[in-house]
Amino acid sequence: MSSSSCPPQSPAVAKTEVTVEGESPVLAATFAYWDNILGPRVRHIWVPKGPPALTLGDGDITFLANHTLNGEILRSAESGAVDVKFFVLAEKGVVIVSLIFDGDLKGDRNTCALSIILPQTELDFYLPLHAVCVERLKHIIRKGRIWMQKGYNIVSVLTSEIIPIMDLLSSMKTHSLPEDIDLKDTVMNDDDIGDSCHEDFLHKAISSHLQTCGCSMVVGSNPDKVNKMVRTLCLFLTPSERRCSRLCKADGSFHYDAGLFVQGLLKDSTGSFVLPFRQVLYSPYPTTHIDVDVNTVKQMPPCHEHAYTQRRYMCAELSALWKAASEEDVAPDTIIHADESFAPDLNIFQDVMHKDTIVKSFLDEVFLLKPGLMLRSTYLAQFLLLLHRKALTLLKYIEDETQKGKKPFRSLRNLKTDLDLMTEGDLSIIMALAEKLKVGLHSFVFGKPFYTSVQERDVLMSF
Amino acid sequence: MIGSPDLLAFTKENDVVDSYVEPSQLPEEFSVPLFPYCGNANPWSKTSYAKFARDFILISEFSEQVGPQPLLTVPDGPKACGTFDLNYFSLRIMSVDYQASFVGHPPGCSYPKLNFVEDSKVVLGDSKEGAFAYVHHLTLYDLEARGFVRPFCMAYVSADERKIMRQFLQLSSEFSKASECLKTGNRKAFANEIEKKLKDLEYTRAVLHRETELQKLNNGCYSTQAIEKANELANVEKSIYEHKDLLKQITSYPNRKMKDPEFLPYDSDSLVESADLHRDPESESVARGELDDPTNQRRPSYTPQLIKAKSAKCFDKRLKTLEELCDLYFFHQTMDQLKQIEKTFRGDLCNIYTNQIEQALLKKQKVTNFLFEDFSTWEEDENVKQFCSGNECLLDNLPPPASVPSGEPLSLDSYTSCVETVPIKMEPETGEGGPQEVEMTDSIPCEIAQDNLDEGTDAAMKGSLSSGESIEVLGTEKSFKAQGSQVNSENMANVPSPQLLRVRRRTVTKRANSEDSIEVLSTTDSIIPEDLRASYPSAIHEEDSTDAVEDRTSGQMFPVNPGTDVQDECVYKTGTSVQVDATCCMGQEGLAYEEPSPELAQECCANGVVKQEPRPCCQRDLPLQVDFVLDDANICEDPLAGLSHEPNPTYLLDETSRMNLDDLSDSTSFMSASTSSDRTCSPFLYGSPVTVKQKKKAGQSAIRFIRQYPFAQQAIFCLLSGRTLVVLGTDEGTVRKLVSALTIYLPNLGKYGESVKPWLSSPFHLSDLQNWKLIGIHKMASPTGSSVLHSLKRYSRYVSILDADNKTLRCPPYKGTLMERLVDHRTQIKRGATYFLHVQSMLTQLCAKAFLFTFCHHLHLPINGGEDDDVVATRRMKFLHHLGYDQDDCHVLHFLSELIKCYYLHGSGKGVRPPVFGFSYVTSFVYKI
Repeated sequence: MSSSSCPPQSPAVAKTEVTVEGESPVLAATFAYWDNILGPRVRHIWVPKGPPALTLGDGDITFLANHTLNGEILRSAESGAVDVKFFVLAEKGVVIVSLIFDGDLKGDRNTCALSIILPQTELDFYLPLHAVCVERLKHIIRKGRIWMQKGYNIVSVLTSEIIPIMDLLSSMKTHSLPEDIDLKDTVMNDDDIGDSCHEDFLHKAISSHLQTCGCSMVVGSNPDKVNKMVRTLCLFLTPSERRCSRLCKADGSFHYDAGLFVQGLLKDSTGSFVLPFRQVLYSPYPTTHIDVDVNTVKQMPPCHEHAYTQRRYMCAELSALWKAASEEDVAPDTIIHADESFAPDLNIFQDVMHKDTIVKSFLDEVFLLKPGLMLRSTYLAQFLLLLHRKALTLLKYIEDETQKGKKPFRSLRNLKTDLDLMTEGDLSIIMALAEKLKVGLHSFVFGKPFYTSVQERDVLMSF
Repeated sequence: MIGSPDLLAFTKENDVVDSYVEPSQLPEEFSVPLFPYCGNANPWSKTSYAKFARDFILISEFSEQVGPQPLLTVPDGPKACGTFDLNYFSLRIMSVDYQASFVGHPPGCSYPKLNFVEDSKVVLGDSKEGAFAYVHHLTLYDLEARGFVRPFCMAYVSADERKIMRQFLQLSSEFSKASECLKTGNRKAFANEIEKKLKDLEYTRAVLHRETELQKLNNGCYSTQAIEKANELANVEKSIYEHKDLLKQITSYPNRKMKDPEFLPYDSDSLVESADLHRDPESESVARGELDDPTNQRRPSYTPQLIKAKSAKCFDKRLKTLEELCDLYFFHQTMDQLKQIEKTFRGDLCNIYTNQIEQALLKKQKVTNFLFEDFSTWEEDENVKQFCSGNECLLDNLPPPASVPSGEPLSLDSYTSCVETVPIKMEPETGEGGPQEVEMTDSIPCEIAQDNLDEGTDAAMKGSLSSGESIEVLGTEKSFKAQGSQVNSENMANVPSPQLLRVRRRTVTKRANSEDSIEVLSTTDSIIPEDLRASYPSAIHEEDSTDAVEDRTSGQMFPVNPGTDVQDECVYKTGTSVQVDATCCMGQEGLAYEEPSPELAQECCANGVVKQEPRPCCQRDLPLQVDFVLDDANICEDPLAGLSHEPNPTYLLDETSRMNLDDLSDSTSFMSASTSSDRTCSPFLYGSPVTVKQKKKAGQSAIRFIRQYPFAQQAIFCLLSGRTLVVLGTDEGTVRKLVSALTIYLPNLGKYGESVKPWLSSPFHLSDLQNWKLIGIHKMASPTGSSVLHSLKRYSRYVSILDADNKTLRCPPYKGTLMERLVDHRTQIKRGATYFLHVQSMLTQLCAKAFLFTFCHHLHLPINGGEDDDVVATRRMKFLHHLGYDQDDCHVLHFLSELIKCYYLHGSGKGVRPPVFGFSYVTSFVYKI
């Protein structure tokens, strides 16, 4: 792409070259702001090292970055709001995802834009990952705004997330799951249940996986074993969710990435695995932890508890940042220790409490069908259809009962009876699917009693 | 000790959300809300602060005169956008326009160049206004606009940001199509405009040339006027050149989008509809694909005018409207597309998203979609035998044809002892004569035929049998077994092909004379054992004629001889040519039968009796196997089992009469045509495909039905087990409503609801019961009404009757758990649509179980050579019990399984229905409110 037609780039634009393993789908990331005198200006550019997927000169990058701020002079968002813009510019052959926010620069309040630029050919690849990237960028922007308020350099804060996101996208290029998974690569191809995976373990893993909204991490020492389980769990996801899942890499170099649905992770040579507490907590959904070495399944609390803990942790993290006396005081990943008011419960993974009948009967039955004839995939499709329809029914039931949230939901018992969800595990699975359809459903249904109990606990602790 | 109640005092019960105080003093604008929903916020209220009630499409323009301005909305009218400030939002969405391409005079070029810019797509939002939009920017051409371009955008505006991003690809695709359509029309209009301009210029040139010549003649070549005219002429010449170049550019548009097979901006069909009075004649040529063809010679009736060579662009000039910028046909096409987009993406994201997931999942289960799904998911009759892989085929897994759950094999004697031979005259459908006629072993008057003739209802009823009012002629399993011993070898010799795989056996017809005057008959050639595959479909239960409480001992007429293991089973193969030689005893003209293979017949039918069922070596033929096995285990389970030789009702149920009506469609239609006009019309929905939307609407009636009628479970059990349910009433509205309500439970409804006859005011026939599983009948006091009731009375034992006037239901009892979950009158579900979703879920589950039962390997085949059919049958029953289905629930599973099998084997060509018309005799009860 020629940069001749673009305005000349500012000589002051700083650039960071990021070393990314493998081919990076990202062309560049930019941080731009609206200068009250000069208009849109690019402050920093991050580009992956290595041969670019698309020839994009610095001038083009600057031009595109400036373009993301077009029209933002009209912005009337509330302070602190982070708005997302998404461009597909066929003329330039690029896709830009831009997060617009306000921040203090040189004493003035400016409109800023943090953008990631990808080739348009990566649109299909990127879209399933959009929510993951945006959520992670939003949080780093929250931290960055505090940094800007304090007059520190936001670029270092942004860099701490831009690089992992580039790594994430790069890893997804090579290790993401396809939309269609061959049953032959999964446990579902076994002649009989338990052939390659213990029956109870498989049941518990799938059940918990569904109870945690299809969000799971599979850890183990054998990459084949891990990936088989990853593929098996992905069978229970939608095609776009599968593309937001990642296989483990044989050499184990992938780290946990918040926001992926299923990800396989290898233990190190000593057989241990370091779980990044903060990242796991920042996942939009609770996560199931599955260890294929020792056949254990642990899960995080349900969505409303997870959301509460997550937000508390975020608040604590931001508070600590706010209180930091200097730029060196706080490293992004360690700030939680600086906040004395919140002691997170590090024991976030618990045993799977709720037994279900839905998954149990499915597993009992699906292995009765002959493998290799698409019978099982048909039966799986029927099972998934059932789950999705039940989830929608549950959602509409609650909608009807509460007049679309105008009234509190008080008829859980009736719901269970009417919708044949008397078993707690079944209810958890369907609720988890409904949560994905209507974000915040758990908090709406179960939130108030939970928050009350939390308050009681806090009051009790204060005595 | 401090307990929970004490602590509650420290909490604000009504506002726990706001009571939390974060001690870190972090300013709110830098923090995140600790609780997802504060105050009255809830998962549904995220979009409530938007100033518009529902999504809409906005078309805006960046006018060179007044700047960004909204042009129109879809839907139009002020209601679409409420109090939302369209001007402000137009400014917002147009300010992000990205059209960097150069249009106008490029450097080094003396005349303007058009640049066909690609559309750009942007998602943006105004969080304060609660409005988010997918914005599709495009550029149209206007000869009078600055740089010949007019920037426009089409925006899908929604209050749900998540919806926009989740549907981005779909929105992008749909808007791209609309944009291409609009741009195509614009290019055409632009080309027309240039052509007109060229004509004007050429006319002007001619005039100027004439005037110049005149000037030269009058004033000489170098006069001021002559020079002025010459300059003017030169300008015109230049302008002509420029416009010709523009025309060339616009008509030589690479049209790459048009080459996209998926792109179809217009079609000839819709042309007729959309081309209204405003359509100009050239639209026709456009519709013929002549657009953008430089060789296309347009010859509109246009009178050239004298113009100035260079038109001054001034801001007081009225710019063309969007409609004027585009060819009308394309404009209206675009508007139609936009309306369709608005309709497609209307509503809650969860509905749209779930629907998309469902569509994807349904594509993977085509073999069962016909049962309960919207026709669109299964109308494409793709290769449902997708499961076949290499040499392996699901046929191997299909259950043997007979759907008799279990039973002790009966001796042939046991049949003959209770069933008389009935002479049945069979007439060929195609009029092929003598050779196909059946020789009857006995001669019993064909009373049904006489009745039918008397009624004059249908010539096709000729050959049907009846013994007055008390005789119904049916094909029964028993009779088939008896027939097995009387195969007419002569007729079997009529073999059309050595490859015949299906055997047709000529048999005598047996008649069961029972104390309650019920005759059970079979056809002769009309029934071949292969046709005995499906028995539960169309199960008709015999009732006592005396009253609701049936005397179950009537089953004594079928003595059981458990010790006899004669089985009348054979393998039949398909592929024979069809010969019609008989009319079934029910008056079904047109039954098509296939000639037997003598070799195979001899193999299978030693002494005329088929004794041995082929073993798995013929696995591919298993679906065509016949299973006559009756399970004595069931007999033992029956409360009446203690009575010797007293079959239990279950057993009687298993004693299924069957008749092959697979090929009766023609005769049925014939009968329909002959009896009443409303037989010929498309049932249920008057020719329109049944949609989920209609079913959702019926959900309200359904929920009312299950609350009002305590016997709803029994009624729905009938529907799900294949027994025709007749809704009887005087008021058409009431009957139709009840039929509509019950439709949502009906399996294999058909694309147009063919299985439903919502309102019938003429007599129906037995064959109709094969096609119609839910019938609304007009109860009226008139000759016609009496004939209707007469037919109903005649066949009442084979149907369930829901009397809407008396609020009664006459049907077999139901004992099971399946219906409790499906039909619970205590349900707290409030809305019909939600109840429909619940029913849909339950039916999905049921469908999956039926699939499992149908295709479960090792379930329908002997595991080892030592296993006999009893064991297999018992295993099947145990399997269903293990799945949690009780005896009556098993009938539902069997019926659905048979339908799946039929669909798998035969597809939906003739409509999915079991090839066998079977009846089971079971006591009926009258249920009252």
